[in-house]
Amino acid sequence: MKASLLLLQAGIAVLGAPLVSGFIRKVKNALRMRQGASLGQPYYNIAKYMAKEEVVSEATSWIFRWTPSIVLGSTVAALMFVPVFSFSLSAPGMGDVLTLFFLFSLGRFFLALAGLDTGSAFGGMGSSREMFIASFVEPVAILSVAVVAGHSASPQGGLMACSMGMSFSGMVAAAALFMVVLAETSRIPVDNQETHLELTMIHEAMLLEYSGPSLAMLETAAHTKQLIWFSLLGAILWPWPVGSSAALSDIAAAAAFFVLKIVLCAVIVGLTEVSLAKMRLFRVADFLGLAFLFSVLALVISGLGY
Amino acid sequence: MTLFLLTGIMILTYAMLVCQRVPALIQNFRLQSLFLFLVTLDFAFRQKEAGIFVVAGLLLLVKVVLIPSFLNHLVKKIRVDERLGLFLNPLLSLIAALFLTWGASVFCSWFLGTSPTAVFAAFVVSITVVLVGFFIMVFRMKALTQIVGLLVMENGIFLLASAITGGMPFFVEIAIAFDVFVCAIITGIFMYRINKVFTHIEVHRLTDLKG
Amino acid sequence: MFFLSQNSRWCFDLLALFFLGVIALVSLPSFLFSAGYLRAQFSRGRSLLATGLTVFFVLSMAAVVASANLIFFLFAWEFMSLVSYFLVVFEHEHEASVKAGMIYLVMTHVGTAFLLAAFLLMHAQAGTWDFEGIRAAAPAFTPALKNILFGLFLVGFGMKAGIVPLHIWLPYAHPQAPAPVSSIMSGAMIKVAIYGLLRFIAGMLGVPPVWWGNVILVAAGISCLVGVIYALMEHDIKKLLAYHSVENIGIILLGIGAGMVFWSWGWGVLAAAAFAAGLYHTVNHAVFKGLLFLCSGSIQVATGTRDIEKLGGLIKRMPQTAASFLVGAMAISALPPLSGFVSEWLIFQVFFVGLRDASSGGKLFFAGMMACLALTSALAAACFVKAFGVAFLAMPRGRAAAEAREASLSMRSAMIFLAALTVALGLGAGLVWKMFCAVAASFLEPPASAWSGLLSGSWDLIRFPGTDACLRTPMIMLALGAGIAAVYLFVRLTARKRVMTAGRTWDCGYYRLDHRTEYTATAFSKPFRIAFSFFLLPYRKTEKIRDSFYHVKEFTYETATTPIFKRYLYDPMVRGLFKLAQYVKGFQMGSIHWYLAYIFVTILILVVIFGRP
Repeated sequence: MKASLLLLQAGIAVLGAPLVSGFIRKVKNALRMRQGASLGQPYYNIAKYMAKEEVVSEATSWIFRWTPSIVLGSTVAALMFVPVFSFSLSAPGMGDVLTLFFLFSLGRFFLALAGLDTGSAFGGMGSSREMFIASFVEPVAILSVAVVAGHSASPQGGLMACSMGMSFSGMVAAAALFMVVLAETSRIPVDNQETHLELTMIHEAMLLEYSGPSLAMLETAAHTKQLIWFSLLGAILWPWPVGSSAALSDIAAAAAFFVLKIVLCAVIVGLTEVSLAKMRLFRVADFLGLAFLFSVLALVISGLGY
Repeated sequence: MTLFLLTGIMILTYAMLVCQRVPALIQNFRLQSLFLFLVTLDFAFRQKEAGIFVVAGLLLLVKVVLIPSFLNHLVKKIRVDERLGLFLNPLLSLIAALFLTWGASVFCSWFLGTSPTAVFAAFVVSITVVLVGFFIMVFRMKALTQIVGLLVMENGIFLLASAITGGMPFFVEIAIAFDVFVCAIITGIFMYRINKVFTHIEVHRLTDLKG
Repeated sequence: MFFLSQNSRWCFDLLALFFLGVIALVSLPSFLFSAGYLRAQFSRGRSLLATGLTVFFVLSMAAVVASANLIFFLFAWEFMSLVSYFLVVFEHEHEASVKAGMIYLVMTHVGTAFLLAAFLLMHAQAGTWDFEGIRAAAPAFTPALKNILFGLFLVGFGMKAGIVPLHIWLPYAHPQAPAPVSSIMSGAMIKVAIYGLLRFIAGMLGVPPVWWGNVILVAAGISCLVGVIYALMEHDIKKLLAYHSVENIGIILLGIGAGMVFWSWGWGVLAAAAFAAGLYHTVNHAVFKGLLFLCSGSIQVATGTRDIEKLGGLIKRMPQTAASFLVGAMAISALPPLSGFVSEWLIFQVFFVGLRDASSGGKLFFAGMMACLALTSALAAACFVKAFGVAFLAMPRGRAAAEAREASLSMRSAMIFLAALTVALGLGAGLVWKMFCAVAASFLEPPASAWSGLLSGSWDLIRFPGTDACLRTPMIMLALGAGIAAVYLFVRLTARKRVMTAGRTWDCGYYRLDHRTEYTATAFSKPFRIAFSFFLLPYRKTEKIRDSFYHVKEFTYETATTPIFKRYLYDPMVRGLFKLAQYVKGFQMGSIHWYLAYIFVTILILVVIFGRP
């Protein structure tokens, strides 16, 4: 019963993830006073890619061909560790938030390799920048989560007992995590998802050579990763008791609350994207340094007891 | 009798300091070793131990006969200039030796008091011989003199041991005798080789090799 | 031999058995590998010599680990250093090997000197040469003596382990040795230094004061970061791996240092768990670093070069080597479900527990260490993306790479064995973790009841004490495998067109791009070079040759990073030493007479001084 619930949750999350991206775009367009594409545009894109023929470069190897499956597979596996709106794999002790981060690293590793595999300068540049940004993101993410978990109510709490709620240090840590979310989901001010100019793209550069179903897989993976980060952020700031019972009413309530949190996250991200400009690559390092400072600040504040 | 022999050794030691030629030095050493042999013989007659006779005989054989003839042979073979280079002229060397003797007597007085017994004399003479041997090694230019200086030192130590402790253990004496002999042979070979390469055995000129 | 009593020559307790296991795990595949490697690189006689030397090397390392007596330990340690020196200068026709050997020899002997000093001090206090006797006498040592001993041991073993700033010989020596020897040196020899640290500091000197653990943690954190940043800048694959060894020793010491801090605070179970985490990373690093060095040896045999900027496209020509290297790279980047991920997860848990339960100063310190470890592992992943991507993927950048052939059977089987072992250590993490906890407990002895909870649970479960964090690597592997398979099948079944066409990489309309437009390793690491430029101090040299003012005929561009430890720490020391030697040389007249005079005067003075009644 629990296993089927888990799989159902994962399936719904993967299917609903592009909707979140569409919603963010709608928010941005509304702020820009435009009509813009429809809410379901990401779905149309994925369907289009699935219908197309795939062209694979001769310079590539099996890594290029298997990366989309690995990336999407690891993202889906990571999804099972997050308490979305019901039971997750972390509960009986399969892994915790750290496992989640390292599963993301797995996907990123192979995506970067695939970028280098194409033999073009676009892919190489994208890989280099992606790994550069990721190396500054990791300490911030891990430290923020550690601060939050360290201040949790239960004395035995591990890294998944993120039930801080709205305490002061929790909010500062959440600010740091928000900056991490912007970096990991390739949003302005770190990366621009709407560009394909060689000097301005990071995530898109690694995907440049992909086409057809592979590209569909990678795009779905990106949407799902974004959903995972949003749900993590929401679970930290505004937790709801999850996974305790399998009764339908509880699950429905948890699901509704979850949707509300995601909508809020999406709106805030959309606002951020519209208000800021994309930073130079080396300014991103400063940006993430600021996030690190926030997480250290959160640690100090939680040490003081707030 | 002993005192006479000791005086002889002392005079010969001073004589070594004023030598200007290598064969003279070697002859002096031979005479000194002969006197030492006589001292040892005298000591052996008094103690009546067979071991000391053997040691005396070894002394005669090695230091009076074999080594000086080897050194003479070496001098002829290398055909070096017979003049012994001196860093200090003979007069100054003698004055230095007088100081060394005075120092030796002060040193001896710390142990034995100032009573002028035979043992005291032997002690002073032996220490003087050791110091003069050292002096010859340091203040003479030729490499041959360094062998001779070493041998003179060994003479002095032998004398010291016999005078104070009644001789070193038998096997030690044998071992030392052979040691000295082999040392002399080896150093002789070295002289030959050095001369072959540098065509001289003036050791102070080896500073040219300094890096 | 008078210092060896019959019953105290060998010591085979759990810790020694653990390290013997590590040495065996690394050495046996290396021997298998060297059968093929040496045949390809050297003549028969030289191969035999190399094999013989390697056998002695491994035996001496085993003797160091199993010895129970100070003199024997030192003897075996010296022997190990000397034999490894001969192996480092094995290819003595290359000047780089000779230079590397000299640096290695000097530094290892300086380290041994510190060890000797420490051993002599211990013997003077305890009166015995045996480990047992010293352990019994250790509680009677004064705190000042213990502190001095700690400092001496840290420097002595740190020089062999490669703690910054004593690491400088590692990037010279490990690349120059033949590949199987490099793998043994990096996999086993630096671990023997860790054994020394554990045995002497933790096993003999008893409960440490807090500042020892703090010093080790700080040194470890600095080693991690320095090692990985220099590794990012390297393009010689073996030098890159050598710098990664420095980094991983840092990670091992992070676990051990945290364990010592916990021990001094009296948290016995947590201290043992932290030590066990350090031991786990020791095994993991030995296995995957050994694997990576063997792969680099295979590359060297196939292409004749170690410079990754001249490689490329090897994955198509050397598929098994590439797969093994990928497994090793994934393990060292701590990707689940491999072994590296498990040990880094464990060390993160160690720091998290410290962060949560320590007082406020301790909280910040552990938070800093946690961030340091996270930064290190992310930078290591970046470095291996670069190394694997540039060396194996895309198109070949030179003829050597284009004509490479796969390694021979013995080489391949050794690599595949180690790769399989990496995966097995990851999947069987629960079992392995329980074993290592038992090893750590053997020299810490926390109360038995606290242990039972840790060692219980199913075979695949890792439980970290003090939190309810759990890890089940088989489950992660299952989730990953199921996810990937499901996705792949789903897409293949629902895609309308089931065709994949081959084409050219998108070339923006330029006809037929070739390897010269590929991304280079220098370019890949440039963002890191700029971000860490305050530490790396990169400089560039350019040279223009002009025909006229408007026409530049030739332009040479060279960029390099400054090796700050060598330039600002070691070179001044060496220069000072030579200056001192020049000064002392003034005493040496070169004249025998002066020397004799010195002796003469010295003896006179001594006789006068001691003869005075």
